[in-house]
Amino acid sequence: MAKLYVEAVPPADMNKNTEWFMYPGVWTTYILILFFSWLLVLSVLGCSPGMAWTIVNLFHFAITYHFFHWKKGTPFADDQGMYNTLTWWEQMDNGKQLTRNRKFLVVVPVVLYLIASHTTDYQHPMLFLNTLAVMVLVVAKLPNMHKVRIFGINAGN
Amino acid sequence: MVRLPYTTALTTLFSYGLLFAFGQLRDFFRKIVDWFKSKDLKGYAPICLGLEDFYVRRLYLRIQDCFGRPIASAPDAWIDVVERYSNDNNKTLHRTTNTTKCLNLGSYNYLGFAAADEYCTPRVIESLKKYSPSTCSVRADGGTTKLHTELEELVARFVGKPAAILFGMGYVTNSAIIPCLIGKGGLIISDSLNHNSIVNGARGSGATVRVFQHNSPSHLEEVLREQIAGGQPRTHRPWKKIIVIVEGIYSMEGELCKLPEIIAVCKKYKVYTYLDEAHSIGAIGKSGRGVCELLGVDPTDVDIMMGTFTKSFGSCGGYIAASKEIIQYLKYACPAHLYATSMSPPAVQQVISAIKVILGEDGSNRGAQKLARIRENSNFFRSELQKMGFEVLGDNDSPVMPIMLYNPAKIPAFSRECLRQNVAVVTVAFPATPLLLARARICISASHSREDLIKGLEVISKVGDLVGIKYFPVEPPKHAEHVLKKLE
Repeated sequence: MAKLYVEAVPPADMNKNTEWFMYPGVWTTYILILFFSWLLVLSVLGCSPGMAWTIVNLFHFAITYHFFHWKKGTPFADDQGMYNTLTWWEQMDNGKQLTRNRKFLVVVPVVLYLIASHTTDYQHPMLFLNTLAVMVLVVAKLPNMHKVRIFGINAGN
Repeated sequence: MVRLPYTTALTTLFSYGLLFAFGQLRDFFRKIVDWFKSKDLKGYAPICLGLEDFYVRRLYLRIQDCFGRPIASAPDAWIDVVERYSNDNNKTLHRTTNTTKCLNLGSYNYLGFAAADEYCTPRVIESLKKYSPSTCSVRADGGTTKLHTELEELVARFVGKPAAILFGMGYVTNSAIIPCLIGKGGLIISDSLNHNSIVNGARGSGATVRVFQHNSPSHLEEVLREQIAGGQPRTHRPWKKIIVIVEGIYSMEGELCKLPEIIAVCKKYKVYTYLDEAHSIGAIGKSGRGVCELLGVDPTDVDIMMGTFTKSFGSCGGYIAASKEIIQYLKYACPAHLYATSMSPPAVQQVISAIKVILGEDGSNRGAQKLARIRENSNFFRSELQKMGFEVLGDNDSPVMPIMLYNPAKIPAFSRECLRQNVAVVTVAFPATPLLLARARICISASHSREDLIKGLEVISKVGDLVGIKYFPVEPPKHAEHVLKKLE
């Protein structure tokens, strides 16, 4: 297979926690991880494809909510705690809203929701859980929610 | 600008994701196991808040044996590396008394002054006996010896500026001088890949810091225009002072700075320039005078030139060379001059002798020979590596050549396999480089002979095949092409 080369220009982003997201191949890797985890769930649990997509959707919800919208700060001490009050989502692209990366990350949960609800034929209780997941994720990613802490949840250090 | 195969980008991202996931899983189980152990902090706050030390604990410590290897000899072309072992999977390492003699491709020993030199070492020993290892005082009190003033004049003459000032440590030179030159209300525009000492100094100064895309004079102009038009944040008053900070050779890329274009942009907008020549002074340029000589830039066009003595001169410490007024101001305002111990006299003498050798003032042409040899060695090594199919960064004539590794697993694989074959290389990963662009950084020295370089190339080629980092197609040898042409 011919090796396709991509050019990677080092992005001028000083925050090393989010800078890795601006390299080529990130979107594809994200989508491939979701697809392969669906295959894994199907092969391990032996359930219907719709159930597998629902499980992938719910795990995706839990993991991305925890790491993008709950955990604050950065996993290294180099920046001396400059971002200690910001979640990963708020640190992305230096706080600029509606960039390409952010739009992509909003579209992914919606597409997952559509696939999961279609393959389960819109039955309850899967539909309810899927809808809950996508609503929470999309609301958390809205530009108006930048640095908003509802009822002071997650406002502590 | 690096070109990597698309599949490599995907696998690297996936590997980091996997490492991250495993680290989180281990942390989760550790939290469960430690749930019942009493955390008796007695009311004190924990040292690490949240996830601050995650990277160090779960990623760095796993391959700790590739970094920080102790050495047992002078960092010459061949170096004695101390062997270490670990009983708990690299969490703690213990030294043994065995050493292995390895080819040294990691030390910043550009001109070969790191080992005993026939001109420098006798003079250094003499100054050690006369002036003792430490002046035991700050420069402003009793720490200025004849050697210090001689070196300041010599450095100023060497670099091409009217005056210079010395400091005991290279890192401190940047981080203590930048706050002295600019403060709140000023603007610092620094290259995105500048060294940590510059970032530290810029943060400590209190000025607003903006970053421009690495080595891109057009982006610098864009950032300048935007900032000058906008003025200070919130008040929009004009900036008090604007300084642009660039480096001569970027140590993680091996690239030269696009100095003439950047100086032209800075002159157009009446902005000060600060050039950090830590890796380029003494190593490039026809007479070793650094990147200004190589690229044909007049030293008077650069406002402040900074350099260190650790790389090409085999000593320790740093200097700033600028106009007489700036140096006089620094001498009464810079805390590193007023409160830090002055440079050690034998170290000063080492630099004086090294500069004299480079300039040819010791009565021989060893300086010119060394400069020619390092240029030859670097160009030979780089072209051979590129022919073998490695992705090597850096410009021609630069003695620093990073070989791209990308995948996190290849970092320890490359490092350990090379050590097994008696070649000591330095591998660099996050956070010194961007997350995906892990590399092995080779530093060529004038004291490497042709045989050393050929042995190094053999080992790197073999290890490269094992580890799988020959991302580019191998160039066919020249005579095979010739034969093919003849047959047509």
